[in-house]
Amino acid sequence: MRERIEGRTQSTVQAVCPNSGMTLRKHLIGQRALRALGFTAALLLPTGAVLAQDPQPIAEAPQAAIMSDLASKTLLLDVVTAGDRLVAVGSRGHIVYSDDQGESWTQAEVPVRQVLTSVYFVDEQNGWAVGHDSLVLHSTDAGQTWALQYRDPALDKPRDPEGPGLLERPLMDVWFRDTQTGFAVGAYGIFLRTDDGGATWVDRSDNVDNEYGMHYNAIAPVHNAGLFMVGEMGSMYRSSDYGDTWETLDSSPYDGTWFGVSGTGQTGQLLVWGLRGNLYRSANFGYTWEPVKFDGRAPQATLLGGNLSADGRLAIVGAGGVVLTSDDHGHTFAANTRADRVALATAKRLADGHLLLVGQHGVVRASANGLKDAQQ
Amino acid sequence: MSKHHQETAPFVERLIFNNRIAVLLIFALLTVFFGYQAAQVKPDTSFEKMIPLKHPYIVNMIEHENDLPNLGNSIRIAVEIEDGDIFSTEYMEALKRINDEVFFLPGVDRSNLRSLWTPNVRWTEVTEYGFDGGPVANRPSYTSEADLDELRANVLKSGEIGRLVANNFKSTIIDVPLQEAYPNPDNQSELIQLDYGDFSRQLEDKIRQHFEAENPNIKVHIVGFAKKVGDLIEGILKVVMFFGAALLITFVLLLMFTRCIKSSLTTLVCSVIAVVWQLGLLRTLGFGLDPYSILVPFLVFAIGISHGVQIINGMAIEYPTSQGSYDAARRAFRSLYIPGIVALISDAVGFVTLLLIEIEVIRELGIAASIGVGVIILTNLMLLPILMSYIGISKGAVERNRVRASQPQKLWLAVARFAHPTVAPISILLAIAAFAFGIYHGKNVAIGDLDPGAPELRADSRYNLDNKFIIDNYSTSSDILVVMVKTPPEMCSAHTTMEAIDQLEWKMNNLDGVQSAVSLVTVAKQVIMGNNEGNLKWQGLSRNQDNLNNAISRAPSGMFNAECSLAPVMIFLDDHKAQTLSRATAAVEAFAEEYNTDNLEFKLAAGNAGIEAATNVVIEASQTKMLLTVYAVVIFMCLVTFRSIRAVLCIIIPLALTSVLANALMAFLGIGVKVATLPVIALGVGIGVDYGIYIYSRLETYLRQGLPLQEAYYETLKTTGKAVTFTGFTLAIGVATWIFSAIKFQADMGILLTFMFLWNMFGALWLLPALARFLIRPDKLRN
Repeated sequence: MRERIEGRTQSTVQAVCPNSGMTLRKHLIGQRALRALGFTAALLLPTGAVLAQDPQPIAEAPQAAIMSDLASKTLLLDVVTAGDRLVAVGSRGHIVYSDDQGESWTQAEVPVRQVLTSVYFVDEQNGWAVGHDSLVLHSTDAGQTWALQYRDPALDKPRDPEGPGLLERPLMDVWFRDTQTGFAVGAYGIFLRTDDGGATWVDRSDNVDNEYGMHYNAIAPVHNAGLFMVGEMGSMYRSSDYGDTWETLDSSPYDGTWFGVSGTGQTGQLLVWGLRGNLYRSANFGYTWEPVKFDGRAPQATLLGGNLSADGRLAIVGAGGVVLTSDDHGHTFAANTRADRVALATAKRLADGHLLLVGQHGVVRASANGLKDAQQ
Repeated sequence: MSKHHQETAPFVERLIFNNRIAVLLIFALLTVFFGYQAAQVKPDTSFEKMIPLKHPYIVNMIEHENDLPNLGNSIRIAVEIEDGDIFSTEYMEALKRINDEVFFLPGVDRSNLRSLWTPNVRWTEVTEYGFDGGPVANRPSYTSEADLDELRANVLKSGEIGRLVANNFKSTIIDVPLQEAYPNPDNQSELIQLDYGDFSRQLEDKIRQHFEAENPNIKVHIVGFAKKVGDLIEGILKVVMFFGAALLITFVLLLMFTRCIKSSLTTLVCSVIAVVWQLGLLRTLGFGLDPYSILVPFLVFAIGISHGVQIINGMAIEYPTSQGSYDAARRAFRSLYIPGIVALISDAVGFVTLLLIEIEVIRELGIAASIGVGVIILTNLMLLPILMSYIGISKGAVERNRVRASQPQKLWLAVARFAHPTVAPISILLAIAAFAFGIYHGKNVAIGDLDPGAPELRADSRYNLDNKFIIDNYSTSSDILVVMVKTPPEMCSAHTTMEAIDQLEWKMNNLDGVQSAVSLVTVAKQVIMGNNEGNLKWQGLSRNQDNLNNAISRAPSGMFNAECSLAPVMIFLDDHKAQTLSRATAAVEAFAEEYNTDNLEFKLAAGNAGIEAATNVVIEASQTKMLLTVYAVVIFMCLVTFRSIRAVLCIIIPLALTSVLANALMAFLGIGVKVATLPVIALGVGIGVDYGIYIYSRLETYLRQGLPLQEAYYETLKTTGKAVTFTGFTLAIGVATWIFSAIKFQADMGILLTFMFLWNMFGALWLLPALARFLIRPDKLRN
């Protein structure tokens, strides 16, 4: 978790640290290591009473998600297709699916209530959803029912009143090479791998050179090149063999956090995006980068998630209701801001041309540029 | 004066008529004393009196009063620009001037004032290195397009859209916290209590009128507890004018009735004295005049007039056979003081049943009304005849009365037909139909307040229009139910606590009639997300206790108390209809049942919706109890007086029909059973029974003399019919003026009481003889 530096802008910090990037990065890493151990906050408020209890496990056993009409109208974080079906995941263990291009949604039965951050379907039937508590869920029926495959084993350990507290490692993204081999990645460098369709998940964090335990925020394939992964503080990683071996890049054009990555559908080409509207494009699997050009004003808001559709169109969305759309494999983008300014987590181009937006207020079927809500 | 009189006259009569000067002197002195006291009676709108203090919800609320955020005591001023939007020089200049003016109003908590122009309204954004931020308005003035663009960007980043900034960017709010007591600017060591009436007037004069006049493109909307109370006080003061109107109309009616200016004026003066005494006694006993008990002077005046009229009527009847005014007054007193006292005491006992309801304003209303009718015994049954014994009735009026009494009266002949053997069954059938109609429709009567906005004020009042403006343009609701989450100290942020609160929030969010729920959990999730660079994927409760503590340490004040042992969950409701409230409280109670442990307790309730929910429960429980008691009292009084169950039926059935129809009327007009209307039901029955008593007692007298029913009824009407109808109209007029009150519940009371007084009179005149046709056997009475 990030320390707050009140009132400091990037430029003022750079003025203080003229040698910019590296010095600052180290300084922050020192702080984050302390914070990860729970020291700084422990000084802020007494916690003794909270912890002075019977030795219970850190977390209770998972409880099933509550069925709710609001499941498709509150925080959702990712959406994918399973065949013709749309499947979206989000807060409180909500997984909803739609068979009519997002007009109506049905809530799936889910054995957990935690925040689910990402979902991936390897074919029409088999999909995985990941989330907080390092949860991995699996569906074999196109998202109607879900079974728990993995949960952070640390949660079942007894509570230690003297210890630094739990280091939470929510999973942030999931991708499968085929029905057997897949990767789930997330906070503090958690990197899980399965080779048996999720029956067993193994922590393979050491497969990636990530000395300071940076968060991994997104993982995505790049056409004819391999897998690409981005994360905190400008960190970037790539794998030419689609996940077996990883190379940590230092070519990032930006020190801030990346929240998303996507191939553009063209060989070796990809986009990364993150804090404060930063959106870069590489034509060579991440060797070199150039900022993406905009029709009109460039967005200032943080960009969170986005998707490439089969026809090469891209949609990227983020905080403040910002919606970026591209019709040319991500060479140029049009930037729009929705009137309601509600934060968006990701977007998906529907077969009928509409844009499906997912975020703080659930799912919205919007017009092609994302600005207007589609007529129901 | 004959010796005969002196010997047989009752003690009371001798006591007061033999010492007229002394009695008058005592009355004069008491009137001066009570007049002095009455002049100091102040409008009193104590909040605590209007709520059921013994209800568990309220007990919980008071127990944790100091731990709860001050939800009430601030006002919000929305400054709207009609043409254009807020990102304009014109708007920002106007807002700055209003902001500065508000800043200097006495009682304003200046350090916590919030508007676009105050430095505490900031924008924040997540950057590579944490949070960045600054005041939204950081220029001395906004004249250039570039500056306005920057302002727009800051507003968008401020997170205040829907809160301080309207969703449509055509208005912004100045949030003005108030101090109940503030230092005197001339003498800092002295504290001045905030005068809501005065504060509200200053808002009107210095803010609304001044700035709307200065720029017609600017509109000002003001809401908040202080403004509402100010408007209520304003409303109470206006009600005083209604008293003048009631006085005038009653005087005209009196003149028409008596055709004698002297006696009309005397009756009026005695009734006003009754009011003065009643107010003076209230003040002496330490009560104030709240918006509910201000009804009492109207009732006292009207009841006083109606009893005064009986005295004047009696004197006019006795005059021809008496030796002058003194003798006539004395005879009138003798014939009327016992039925008068019985009627008044039964009224008073009826009002005392209001003490059963554990809401202080209703109790005080009962006490005030009981005192009032008690006072009438002295002023209108004693003082009035004594005064009249000096003043006398004009000869013309006496003569006219004598002539009319000897002539057949067409109206009363017609009314007497209600006792006819073929008309009576039709009346009974109609009454049965009316009962069925009333019971059927009366079922729809709701408990509590039904209209949106501040229920005390009219839907189209300035305050409620302003309230509607804010609800329409901002993401907010004015109906808030607060659940208090109680834990041991330092446990409010424990993951188990937070997790349970989160479950409650979600359960409530899913409930019909709930807009949203907010607590420290809501804030914690946002802060945790913010600490993680605004990534939506982090928007969840952390299992790491340090993270949770850190997150709530950034929560705004009021989300948990100082020792972290109490956290309010604020549930925003669609409205404050009884159904919505009981659905929400039932859901919370079921949740508490499931989740309460030794270390975690979900307690209802605070917030205006919590208070209303408790009030509704008490009102609903009291309604039947009170109706049963008031009817039991009335039936008992009638039984004692007439010693016949059949007589009681004749009197009570028309009364019951009125109650049933009043219920249907409430359903039709959308008036709920609430603090204001519950006492009205008791008042209506208590006062309404008088008509039946007067008519039946006369009817019985004539039946005993051997007259057949219809004839006996005609004679009854000739002697008391006029007085009864007059009484009905004076009572109705006394309360009908209320229908025009700016205060909604006073208007509701006015409508219901007017209906009940008129319909009770009509029911007694119409249904009583029809019932008597079937129930009363004249031959039995004669034995």
